[in-house]
Amino acid sequence: MSALDLLMILLRIAFGAFVPLSFVAVLVWMERRGAGFFQDRAGPNRCNFMGFRAAGLIQNLADGVKLIFKEDVVPGHIKHKFYFILAPMLVFFTAMLCFAVIPFADVLTIGGRDYVMQAVPMDIGILWFLAIVGFGVYGIILAGWSSHNKYGVLGGLRAAAQVISYEIPMGLALVSLLAIYGTVNLTEMAQYQGQLLFGFIPMWGVFLQPLGVIIFIIAAFAETNRTPFDLAEGESEIVAGFHIEYSAMKFALFFLGEYVAMFVSSALIVTLYFGSYQIPWLATETLVAHAKAVVIMLMLVTPVITYFFTGWIKKNNRSHYHRPNDPRVREANVYRVLLWMAVVLLEVVLIGYLIFAAGGAADRIIVALLQVVTFLVKTTMMCFVYIWVRWTLPRFRYDQLQKIGWEKLMPLALLNIFITSAVIVSFG
Amino acid sequence: MGAKVRVVERKGRTFLEHLYLVEVAKGMFVTLGHFFRNLMDNSRLYVRHYPEVQPEIPSRWRGRHRLTKHDDGTVKCVACFMCQTNCPSNCIMIEAGERHDDKSEKLPVRFDIDLLECIYCGYCVEACPMDAIRMDTGIFSVTSDNRGSMVIGLEELLDTPGAFEEQEYQKGAR
Repeated sequence: MSALDLLMILLRIAFGAFVPLSFVAVLVWMERRGAGFFQDRAGPNRCNFMGFRAAGLIQNLADGVKLIFKEDVVPGHIKHKFYFILAPMLVFFTAMLCFAVIPFADVLTIGGRDYVMQAVPMDIGILWFLAIVGFGVYGIILAGWSSHNKYGVLGGLRAAAQVISYEIPMGLALVSLLAIYGTVNLTEMAQYQGQLLFGFIPMWGVFLQPLGVIIFIIAAFAETNRTPFDLAEGESEIVAGFHIEYSAMKFALFFLGEYVAMFVSSALIVTLYFGSYQIPWLATETLVAHAKAVVIMLMLVTPVITYFFTGWIKKNNRSHYHRPNDPRVREANVYRVLLWMAVVLLEVVLIGYLIFAAGGAADRIIVALLQVVTFLVKTTMMCFVYIWVRWTLPRFRYDQLQKIGWEKLMPLALLNIFITSAVIVSFG
Repeated sequence: MGAKVRVVERKGRTFLEHLYLVEVAKGMFVTLGHFFRNLMDNSRLYVRHYPEVQPEIPSRWRGRHRLTKHDDGTVKCVACFMCQTNCPSNCIMIEAGERHDDKSEKLPVRFDIDLLECIYCGYCVEACPMDAIRMDTGIFSVTSDNRGSMVIGLEELLDTPGAFEEQEYQKGAR
């Protein structure tokens, strides 16, 4: 095992472990500011560090500090402390583990060796995901049961019933997808989506399985216990459901687990249906062959995007009332200078690449980085859909939830399997 | 049969509406419109930037109480206990004393209002025969970190000025 092998293993594991964690901060921020904007209010925007509010991201720091320093209460009536403490860990770790099999770039070939860009390069792919994500609900049931609280038990039961009902349409939607891709390996699925359908449509899952994608997304919402299927914690009926007895960091683990699960299931939806890391019409080999042109395009596009972005910052990052020497304007100026410095740095790096390193392994690394960025952008957009849905739709009634799962989604998924297999059999 | 029965057409029973998806998409585009409008220009948020921008308080608005004075600076209150008797939440505590300035026979030596009990209904103002208690200070935010300081006494009630011109207040009161 060479030093490069070790480095790649470390890099992939670091990506698999830290990207979901850092996205929790981004998602909580997106959720709160997004909720604000959806409801015509501002969201948390006051918390600052020496006057820098980072568009409200500093609020996350404050929340984290609060959760760490709160008293960690274990109520006296709890008999099974071990399970009580195990439950939030289970929720969090299963959510984290799911991300291990999701590819974030195409297979990277350096020095004649192939590196599969997953945290854990396994062939079982989607099966691993199904196994682990089903395990996540054990944490919720365990939390509800060991809380020894009627609301907790009700929340746990609801979560259990819901996940059981929605894993079936989810699995059935996957069956027809697997019939098309002919593999369970997520990297191979992503490579399959780099082709073109009829020569001009990217062969994404969403174009091959328009019904399947709807079923899968709905089931994924239910799996992650997000609105409109968040009956497990329905505040208005059972207060907070399974995490009613939890406080401080144990509650924070549930919270983190929920957002990691949301990120991971967005990543999976993107991987299965929205082309994973593929940039539409630009397959990996095309990108590698024209790496120089791609880099030059990048060098031209980044300043344009930055120009509009800094303009947006200048327009919006100011006080909307009379304030002498507005500190927010000064803050915005600092952001703009920092952004332009980052752009200049990027340009210097890219020029360095063009002069010294063009051709060979550097091409492949640049393409892989581009694909990582594409994957993360797509995943962020899918997470935005989660947030968008949460702040638009009210919660379903419990019988409606079960009815949709069993009477609507399951027959639709079966129909989808028949149609798909008929098409596959007749057109080969 | 007396009243005519009118059958109201039920909405939401068509196939498209039962599918949910179309209606969901419609609703989601409404919220997305709001999101982008606010994202592109956040001066359009329907938000008052509160601690910096204070709300406008009209003269009829019932704020924290105060006791009024005669022109020569003596207390208008005659300790008749009308407000205390009328108070639905029993937050007023008056102790009467003898008065020697020829305005009347009594005056309050203690006049406590427990702001934690007060429900700001304004009955004390309406009950007062002397126009001695008013809620026109314009103070809407009464906060403290201990219960004791939420009971305000005679001095504080007398020292708080009204927030409005007399003419403006009378317009609102009558």
